[in-house]
Amino acid sequence: MATKLEVQQGTLALMILKTFDVLGPLHGYGIGRRIEETSRNRLTLNYGTLYPALLKLEQEGLITAKWSQSENNRRAKFYSLTAAGRKQLAREARDWHRTADLIAAFLGPRGEVS
Amino acid sequence: MKSIRAALARVAGFFAGKRSNADLGAELQSHQEMETAELVRRGMEPDAARREALLRSGVLSQAAEAVRDQRGLPWLDGLMADIRYALRGLRHSPLFTITVVLTLALGIGANTAIYGVVSAVLLRPLPFPESDRLVRVYDDLAGGGAKDVGMSVPEWTDLRRAGIFERLAVVFPVSAALGGGDRIERIELLVTSPDYFELLGTRAALGRSYGAHDDTPGFGAGVVISDGLWKRQFGSDPAVIGRTVRLDEDPYTIIGVMPPGFRHPGNTVNGDVEIWASCGFLADPFPNTPIRGARVLPGALARLAPGLSATQAQAKLDAFAATQQRNFPADFPAAQRWALRLESAQESITGKVRPTLVILLAAVGFVLLLVCVNLAGVMMARSSARGAEFALRQALGATPGRLARQVLTESSLLALIGGVVALVVLGLARAPLLSLMPADIPRTTEIGADWRLVLVALAGSVVTGLLVGLIPAIQTSRFEPHEQLKEGGRSGTASVRQNRARAVLVVAQVALSVVLLAAAGLQMRSFAAVLNQNPGIEPEGLVMAQVWVPRPNNPANNPYIKAEARSTLVQGLLDHLGRLPDVQAAALGSSIDVPFLNSVTRAFPFSLPDQPAGQDSNRAAQFGTVSPTFFQTLGTPLRQGRVFSDHDDLGAPLVAVVNEAFVRTFSPSQDVIGHRLRVGAATDFQVVGVVADVHTGGLDQPAPPHIYVPILQRPSVAIAIFVRTRQSARQMQATITSLVHTVDPELPVFGVKTMDELMSQSMARRRFSLYLIAAFGVAALCLAVLGIYGVMSLVVTQRRPEFAVRLALGARPSDILKLAFGPGIRLAGIGTAIGLVLAIAVASSMAALVYGVSARDPLTFITVAVILPAGAAVACLVPATRAMRVPLIEVLKR
Repeated sequence: MATKLEVQQGTLALMILKTFDVLGPLHGYGIGRRIEETSRNRLTLNYGTLYPALLKLEQEGLITAKWSQSENNRRAKFYSLTAAGRKQLAREARDWHRTADLIAAFLGPRGEVS
Repeated sequence: MKSIRAALARVAGFFAGKRSNADLGAELQSHQEMETAELVRRGMEPDAARREALLRSGVLSQAAEAVRDQRGLPWLDGLMADIRYALRGLRHSPLFTITVVLTLALGIGANTAIYGVVSAVLLRPLPFPESDRLVRVYDDLAGGGAKDVGMSVPEWTDLRRAGIFERLAVVFPVSAALGGGDRIERIELLVTSPDYFELLGTRAALGRSYGAHDDTPGFGAGVVISDGLWKRQFGSDPAVIGRTVRLDEDPYTIIGVMPPGFRHPGNTVNGDVEIWASCGFLADPFPNTPIRGARVLPGALARLAPGLSATQAQAKLDAFAATQQRNFPADFPAAQRWALRLESAQESITGKVRPTLVILLAAVGFVLLLVCVNLAGVMMARSSARGAEFALRQALGATPGRLARQVLTESSLLALIGGVVALVVLGLARAPLLSLMPADIPRTTEIGADWRLVLVALAGSVVTGLLVGLIPAIQTSRFEPHEQLKEGGRSGTASVRQNRARAVLVVAQVALSVVLLAAAGLQMRSFAAVLNQNPGIEPEGLVMAQVWVPRPNNPANNPYIKAEARSTLVQGLLDHLGRLPDVQAAALGSSIDVPFLNSVTRAFPFSLPDQPAGQDSNRAAQFGTVSPTFFQTLGTPLRQGRVFSDHDDLGAPLVAVVNEAFVRTFSPSQDVIGHRLRVGAATDFQVVGVVADVHTGGLDQPAPPHIYVPILQRPSVAIAIFVRTRQSARQMQATITSLVHTVDPELPVFGVKTMDELMSQSMARRRFSLYLIAAFGVAALCLAVLGIYGVMSLVVTQRRPEFAVRLALGARPSDILKLAFGPGIRLAGIGTAIGLVLAIAVASSMAALVYGVSARDPLTFITVAVILPAGAAVACLVPATRAMRVPLIEVLKR
């Protein structure tokens, strides 16, 4: 059984932005589900984590929100990426790759640590 | 950029409030529905699916809270909630609230008032453009120990060209007789160089002021009047411009009226300047060919050249003086050690009162600190009374920090209310409060509430509130809820930590009040020392009046240009004075000789040719001219030789009488009687007597060396009349005025006062600071005693069960009394000891206000060391006696 992971500080925003980039406009439920799926259910998101993060991105102008009808005719609030959000995503993804490479170089091949 | 945007969004979110809460609710609702629908689609029962959806996503209300924190400004939300909560709490305990608010209002109000005075008088720059460049230039003769001896006209003209000053204007304060009205009046005149107003950078409010282009060798024809004189004498008539006035018989034209706030930034003879006149100082009444050695000008005001610092300017002045001494050795003898000294104009006006105000500010600061400590104790008692409430809140999830914040909010709120109350009271009582200020504090008209003072007061209030709440807040945050709940809300024995904090507060209160009481004690002892000191006169029943003898610029118009004429005038006055009914004695002197008047005088140089060589020149002293009956009338004792007689007139050899300060300073080891006293090149007076010191500069000022010469030999133009009588000053005013006017109707009589009034005036500043500091001391004592009482009764209440058990087990009431009494007294003792050490340190910095006693005056310190523990004992006694009578049954029943 896969162990559940806590969402690491700062990574959630990147995951959300990337998800919007891939799937286009989405509501809170959808984005939560998508992140859980992508992580192969190793991550769980509760409201208290997800919605403040969405609000923060909205306040920073990286995403916008609008109420509309969902795929099965339910009213839901849809979020979508703004131009600034797209730029931010590109920048953060690049930074993240660099950091990940760097850390990987330090830690060496998998398995050595544990 | 991103963060600014986010911050703006948060501020907007804070105000959006309810609307976005509804929006959030709908969004979370739709999320849950989708989750449930999904689970149902996968085959779950609808009810089970709903539960599962809830489980997966967490509690809705917690999520809402988290989002709200992200959306708005959670700390501001929290603050608003805290304030609402605190207000509710304060409404429920009105007695506590009112007491605390009033105490704080007193503390903050007293501080605001004194800070308002300090900021207006000492801190705020003088109301002139670039006033930091305005300086006074003084001439000192270090060789003779004489300061501010004035400058000569050639020195002034050379100094103007020395490249040190942008402008350098002579300022010459004098009296003048203003004619043209229904009666002749004495006014305060300031004779200046024509560029005086350009130097200050102030324009006339009406008409124009004179300027550099009005330069003439003698007096300029146009004069400028003050707003005060314009209102008083000319009924605010705009047509006053072009009007002719007579000053000392000479006609002048009024060309301008200065704005209401304008004041000459320097000393005057007696009161604010009323008329400004320009002069070149090169024609009558000044010597037409100036003499470099003759210091005819009393001093100068200057504006430093741009970019020149005071230190640089002083260095250049020193170099200038050195060059002048080399070039003119006859005019500036090396032994005189002539030097030029700069002082900022601000310092020259306010320097005298600075120590008083600084000490008052420090004292009132101590009071506020004491208020803070005292109220901290009160707040602590209040929060431990609310222990059960805090415990409950903590159990329900309030963090310790949150509870501490609540306490701080409450105390800051109280202080802020106190501050507002204080400001309102100060605003309403501004005029009566200002009238309490001693008259010799300058710039009082500039004191008032402006927005800066209000801001400082409110900020100070918040800081005060935080100080008050600090210790109680720390206590609250370290709260152990189970302790409280276990006790079922009943107050048990306080924790050791709490008791230690209370002990520290008591010690601090006692120490602070010891410092304030010691300061008050020193003030009282100094005041008594000043009063007890021999004034050199017998003030009872002595009335003084001043007469100004006009000096027209053209000698031809001056009836008193010749010494004989002045002598006749003096003789005439003396004859009339001698015939006054109801008068035991009467005499004439000069304004310099008036006790306690502190009239601005310069020391005049003289030499003692009969003293051993090397000490024969370059001394300076006050010169007074007095009539033969002067010493007898004032009651000044003769110490040696004789006083003047009617025979010491123009035909007799010149004689002089000196005071004891003169002997101490210039001839401590040699009998000065019979010695010659040389003034100028060859005028010799023979010393015939020594009299006691008269404190001319005020009772608390040491008497300066003083030389008296007979008024019949050297008739003065600033005459003072002294009369010993049983009549009041008011009755004498009419009598003296009509007497003077029978001799010459053109002479203004002014400043009629009794010696008691003059003495009291000279003590005004000392009395003011005494009253204030004594009030602070008494307030401090009361606060400390109440503080000790509060803490001790709390302790006794807490230990009631213990005392009851001890009594039941056979302890005698006196043992209980000891138990209840001991800790309080011990704390008071420790506080007193710390306070005494502090007070000794503080007292040495109070030197400026301590007079006639040591700054470590044993009587003061011993008295304080007795008063405080005594007060503390009374404060402990009440709760302690209550402790002796605790019936066991009452304790057991609970």
